[in-house]
Amino acid sequence: MSSRIAALGAALACGTLVLAQDVVPAWAGFHTWPYATVLAILALAIGRYALGARAGSDGPTGRRLVPAMLGALVVAAAGLSSGLLGPDTETVQRAPGTVAPLPDVGAAAFFAAADAAAIGRGDAGIVLRRRNAAAVELSPGERSFLGATVLELAAQPAAYIEARDGRGNHLTITQPTNAAFLSPVLLFPERIVISGETLPADSFAAPALGRQIKAFYFSKAASAPHPQLHPGESVLFAVNDDSGHLLAGAIGFAQSGQEITLGGVRLRPSIGTYPALVISAVPYPLALWVGGLLFLAGLAYAFGRPFQTQKVANRTATSA
Amino acid sequence: MPRGSVGWIVAVIALAAIGLTVKSYFGPAGGPAGTGGGPAMLAGAPAQSYPVKTLGGSTDSLDRYRGHVVLVNLWASWCAPCRSETPALERLYEQERARGLVVLGIDQGESAIAAAGFAKDLKLRYPILLDEDQQYGRAYAAIGLPTSLVVDGSGRIVRGIDGELTLAQMHEAVDPVLRGSL
Repeated sequence: MSSRIAALGAALACGTLVLAQDVVPAWAGFHTWPYATVLAILALAIGRYALGARAGSDGPTGRRLVPAMLGALVVAAAGLSSGLLGPDTETVQRAPGTVAPLPDVGAAAFFAAADAAAIGRGDAGIVLRRRNAAAVELSPGERSFLGATVLELAAQPAAYIEARDGRGNHLTITQPTNAAFLSPVLLFPERIVISGETLPADSFAAPALGRQIKAFYFSKAASAPHPQLHPGESVLFAVNDDSGHLLAGAIGFAQSGQEITLGGVRLRPSIGTYPALVISAVPYPLALWVGGLLFLAGLAYAFGRPFQTQKVANRTATSA
Repeated sequence: MPRGSVGWIVAVIALAAIGLTVKSYFGPAGGPAGTGGGPAMLAGAPAQSYPVKTLGGSTDSLDRYRGHVVLVNLWASWCAPCRSETPALERLYEQERARGLVVLGIDQGESAIAAAGFAKDLKLRYPILLDEDQQYGRAYAAIGLPTSLVVDGSGRIVRGIDGELTLAQMHEAVDPVLRGSL
């Protein structure tokens, strides 16, 4: 009896650990050896009980529990496969209007075009297109399951930059070090430590004026300790000449919508968010369903039968 | 059904589910529906179109030229290779417009004043669009300027080319499409 309770406990713990992958799929712990070891130990305990029960060590109820234990083993296998064989969580960040191939998912992600207003609102989404399958539209905060993969959008800081010369003429912005050469949207993919604070950073150029510009994103939280320097969410610009030398007095903060002139360039950031696509491995859904149904059906078979037998006995006694 | 048979069926279902689970991490996922990585990778994809201003202040877009073979050229006035390539584009336009070729210059990120100065200096007659938000540049995966794309009459990208082209290279890119062999 105690071995049966232990096996059922192991099965429930196993199910909880595996289902957790669907609840918080981006957690890196699912792809570690400790997680796999715990699942494997639980699976061994379940398997050991199932073998013994099949041989009759736990009586007729134990024998009828074997399908439920097989269901739990299927769930455990799904969790182990996803944790050990599934790829680590990957974050795909691309400029608005561009396409990212996702060979592991068999799809391509189309990142929606976004102007200054869309960046400010933070409502741009991503469309996933697959061969011979319907397109999937994802909005910020949404998630979508595709086979053994879950895709969700995570809002990342972004700034749409407008650059003008001294006479107000619009200037081309290039991002020579980024994949999206002609994007005016900064996604701040780098991390730079300034005065002990880690800041998202990016860079771009205004080739018509021969200017290279570094940009650092200050969130509200990062700005809080120095309200006199940068009140609230802002971008710190540092303007260099063609050869990378910082121009005199060419460092300054700009809040969203505020124009600042540095090194002869008028810069106006529209600060907001743009989504990154987070791709995580999850247990294969078919296996979870089969395993879960086997487990529940096995429980009903094992514990429903004495109740039914009792009912039949009662009925027989009444009619007699 | 005998109890032994039910046991075997359950075992087979369980094994099949485990097998499918493991296979799902090794099996081919199928090719992606689109690709990225420079304009050359866009061949075969539908050409994106965005309404933008023209030098004259009206609105125009690539879609309006559906039915024509279009050589889309992304450029900016500060770009030296763009300046050196542009006379050949103008010559190509003059030579091939009777065969239905449209050369569409799309300025990237500049004001009308800069683009108009460039067009006037080089006596351009082909249509010029002003893409201040650089939407075409992003959609066509430009990795530098100039970037050129050949779009067929159905709106499909036939070729994407990074960098400056000579007149001969332009002919080589558009002639097969004009002949209808691509």
